Amino acid sequence: MKLNNYKFFEQNWSAIAVATLVLCVFLTIASPAFMSFANMQSVLVQASVTAIMAVGMTYIIIGGGIDISIGAILFFISSVFAELFVATGSYPLALGVSLITGVLLGAVNGFLAIKFKVTPLITTLATYTIYRGMAIHLTGAQNIPVPREIGYLGNGSFLGIPVPILLMVLVTILGVYLIQKTRFGLYLRAVGSSEESAHESSLPIMRVTVLAYLIGGLTAALAGLILIARVGGLQSDIGIGLEFTVIAAVILGGTKLSGGSGSILGSVIGAIFLVLIDNGLNMLNASPYVYDTVRGIVLLVAVIVDRLSEVRKSRELIKNSAMKMRGTTS
Amino acid sequence: MHKGARPVLSVNQLSKAFSGKTVVKDVTFELYPGEILALVGENGAGKSTTKNMLCGLLTPTLGQIFVEGEEVPEIQGVEQGISAVHQELSLFPSLTVAENLCINDLPGSALNVDWHETQRLATEQLAFLGVEIDILANVESLGAGKQQIVEIAKASMHANKILILDEPTTSLTVPEREKLFSIMRMLKERGVAMIFISHFMDEVYAMADKFVALRDGTQVGTGYLKDVPRRELEALMVGRAIGESAFDLHKPSEKIALSINNLSSHRFDKVSLAVASGEILGIAGLMGAGRTELVESIFGIRAASGDIYIDNEQVSPASVSKMKKKGVVYVTEDRRKNGMFSGRSVKENSSAAGLSYFVKQLVKGLGFSGEREAVARLSQDMNVSTPSIDASVRQLSGGNQQKVLLGRWLATKPKICILDEPTKGVDIGAKFEIHKKIVAFAKQGVAVIVVSSDLQELLDVSHRIMVMRTGHMVGEFERENFDAVKIISLAASSVHEQSQQVAS
Repeated sequence: MKLNNYKFFEQNWSAIAVATLVLCVFLTIASPAFMSFANMQSVLVQASVTAIMAVGMTYIIIGGGIDISIGAILFFISSVFAELFVATGSYPLALGVSLITGVLLGAVNGFLAIKFKVTPLITTLATYTIYRGMAIHLTGAQNIPVPREIGYLGNGSFLGIPVPILLMVLVTILGVYLIQKTRFGLYLRAVGSSEESAHESSLPIMRVTVLAYLIGGLTAALAGLILIARVGGLQSDIGIGLEFTVIAAVILGGTKLSGGSGSILGSVIGAIFLVLIDNGLNMLNASPYVYDTVRGIVLLVAVIVDRLSEVRKSRELIKNSAMKMRGTTS
Repeated sequence: MHKGARPVLSVNQLSKAFSGKTVVKDVTFELYPGEILALVGENGAGKSTTKNMLCGLLTPTLGQIFVEGEEVPEIQGVEQGISAVHQELSLFPSLTVAENLCINDLPGSALNVDWHETQRLATEQLAFLGVEIDILANVESLGAGKQQIVEIAKASMHANKILILDEPTTSLTVPEREKLFSIMRMLKERGVAMIFISHFMDEVYAMADKFVALRDGTQVGTGYLKDVPRRELEALMVGRAIGESAFDLHKPSEKIALSINNLSSHRFDKVSLAVASGEILGIAGLMGAGRTELVESIFGIRAASGDIYIDNEQVSPASVSKMKKKGVVYVTEDRRKNGMFSGRSVKENSSAAGLSYFVKQLVKGLGFSGEREAVARLSQDMNVSTPSIDASVRQLSGGNQQKVLLGRWLATKPKICILDEPTKGVDIGAKFEIHKKIVAFAKQGVAVIVVSSDLQELLDVSHRIMVMRTGHMVGEFERENFDAVKIISLAASSVHEQSQQVAS
């Protein structure tokens, strides 16, 4: 690791990894059913949808943006897939068109966010409404059952490993590779770190930003297909609120909303951590109505702890520079 | 001196106009490999515009440019081996040093960046400059000095012919500055020509071979520094006849209105001063000397330790609301950002601070009729030229906006008035009117502190001028002893030469 450039990477996700480990140890002691193969597998399958989307969202946030329309993209893609599959019966066609649509919707978000300099929160709030509206229009707000063939994406397994878990691992590896090894990865961190400097260095800001949002759209599309395959059909409330779970996972994973740095792996672990909390509460027979509250408290504690450590760091920096100044001028 | 060598850059009568208004005129010089040219002038003399033309950010309106003997329509920057280090760093804070150094020319392919090579190149570059910085550290974790060095390392990585350095030492400590100078000497030996912009005359004389002096956008002198003594160069920069001031100032009272004792923060150290009622105290200094920070601390915007007394009553630690109650007002340097409600009318902008004064004048009932009248009177008083007091303040010229802002605070009948750059971006006519107001105001018994980078302004309106440099008060001048050249050289010498004691 010494010669590797990713010091940032080592630091960012360590906290969530430790927290996850502690939570696992606690739950293993508290509930004997927790540490079973079946339960672990179910946790990972449940986490896969959030985790895959969190990978895409991490790109967007590292680049200094945010996208709250990904839940709507997921819904729209699922609708496109279901309608197309029912209409044509062609699985590859429906799959291909859905993924391409995801790419396009993400790219539109990125283009709007960078081109018109409107806060991405507002831009994607608008596209959120548009995409969801388009999907409702497309499906007439009907529930559409999905044929068995696509169930493979959600319930099938390959070499004994459930397909959603495989896809999650695949997306994570690709995600880590892109950010670590490619020019795009570095440019994205640069743009998120300082857009003015990126401008001065004439980096392709537009291309890089659009690509990040595009990856966000693509991961949302993939996650949507897994989700409807697992559920066995399309419902019109699918994906509502999902963007916030995804953002929570990314933040828990150690990525800063201010952009410039972050961790793909952290986001994936963050997604798993959130499922573990649900799973643990379930194991401990807690009322299902407290889940949201607990999740919210965990997120709040995480950001406050993070903020406090930041404040301490910057105080030290100011103190040091002040001491230096006195030392040299008096 | 340059037998057979040809200049790496030569410019002839370079000029720049913005919408018809000439801001830089007739800059002419030749720069040979390994030479350091100092670009000097007061704030607003046109150094930045000239620099921007020389590094390719601006296209000159007139003039010729020759890069290595070839005439070019404009400077391209890195492609011609020219690179600049600006005052604002252009680094990526959350990337590592190595990533920052190599980002413009990454080794390896787009899909497989060669990080080993990146690190090797970065290590090599830093070793060449003789600095020890962890190439895997994030830039934001480095101090200002090291960041500056990384910036220079980055710029010189891509520019092998000309390096432009804009005020590179302002945020550096003395050892860091020495490090920077040794790097400059090294680059000089390698044949890199440099254009060095600095306020600090001793730095200019220590480092540069020749100079170009600008004043009010015009080149007023050029030559070899060894032929021009420092005093002469400073006089060239200041230029104006230093003599009779425009105002015949009244005598302030003996009563101290505001005094501070050993006020310190991380931007300034142990500053003491006192202002009497009716006195105008000017605070001179370069940008970054800590003047704005000092007055903001007095007004309670920034935290500081030390004592502040108003009418001999201790008021520290200061807070804005406490200061306002004590009759202190502060008119900010950046009126667009911190002062104006830019979408609102002249009326609302004028009355924002003094509404309670206007309302008190109402005879009965609610309503703002008192406000209209008072603002109309105030606008007339301040000589604000506006179509109506209901017009949006955005439509007004900078000078009129400033008058509205001043009027707003003066309407609150303050006892102590702090003005930070009161005529920034204001045309000459309005400037004179504002000066008249300031003097008239002090005459009524208000203690006034004026912070300004425009020395002539301070010379015109102040009873007394204090000079601030890198967070310290380094000199004080009574009106009868005003000496522009002395003040400038005191504000601009980077090492503490014989600094005068500050009387408090």
